[in-house]
Amino acid sequence: MMQELWQKKWKLKYSQDVIDIALFGSAIFGGEKINDIDVIVLFKKIALKDQLHQTQEIKKQIQEQVSLPIHVKPFDMESFFDEGNFAQGGILFYGKSMINRKDFSENFGLTPKSRIRYALDSLKKKDKVKFNYLLSGKQGHYGLLRKYGGELVAPGIIETMPENEKIFVEQMKRITKDIIVERGFVLGS
Amino acid sequence: MKEKEQILLESAKEYYKSAETSLKNSQYNSAVVLFFKSLIAFSDLYLLRKTGESPSSHNARFRMLQEITLEVYNLVDKDFPFYQDSYVQRMSKELAEVIKDDARTVAKKMEIEV
Repeated sequence: MMQELWQKKWKLKYSQDVIDIALFGSAIFGGEKINDIDVIVLFKKIALKDQLHQTQEIKKQIQEQVSLPIHVKPFDMESFFDEGNFAQGGILFYGKSMINRKDFSENFGLTPKSRIRYALDSLKKKDKVKFNYLLSGKQGHYGLLRKYGGELVAPGIIETMPENEKIFVEQMKRITKDIIVERGFVLGS
Repeated sequence: MKEKEQILLESAKEYYKSAETSLKNSQYNSAVVLFFKSLIAFSDLYLLRKTGESPSSHNARFRMLQEITLEVYNLVDKDFPFYQDSYVQRMSKELAEVIKDDARTVAKKMEIEV
């Protein structure tokens, strides 16, 4: 359901003051039960009163297209990067545009990447094989890499999109606890 | 009902006055919370005068406002997230002034001077 939400083609009307409208929070991760939807509207520098008014109009439109409770917050660049915005990192890394379904961070020329490091040294041989099947698949069944999109960038290092990070980690942890997740950005797309 | 009206009216004005003091002292988080509480008290008073009932929870308030007055509902709904965040985020002077205007708007609908 999560993926359906951020992949959904939203019909939204908005002014040229709007830089982006993006989903963040639980609505991004595949497989999770969603109780509500968190949305950010990123504005150019306009009066806060106008931001709030336009945000309400956008919220109404979203509400017409989904039955879950919606929390929408306006930001401009200054308020978004204010140190008091504790949601900043999560929005920047996991946010998905409702306008073009791209990563929210593309507004800043950044592409988010989740790197999952794992070690199999302490595993028995049968578990190593099981782990390999989990990633690469077996007998016509897709593994995680193909099913959700991921790449083995070096031995013991997988790179995937942020929205799939949880799925990878949850399943990998069933076989090995030796997992470290690193989150970062690369310049460009 | 008259007694309840009086309590709501006095509370709304008291919150508003305290919020103005906080605003003057550059205590914007306090100002936002108090202006919002004033807005809520004025909204509840509006509902009480219109329906004879006042809500007992935020959910009930939003439901009643949506049914009775979309104009006030929109004001409360747009400001509510900031009230919720006021515990964990720094609020701005501009935001406090926006919510102040909204409280005044609802008061004016009932021809109440603040």
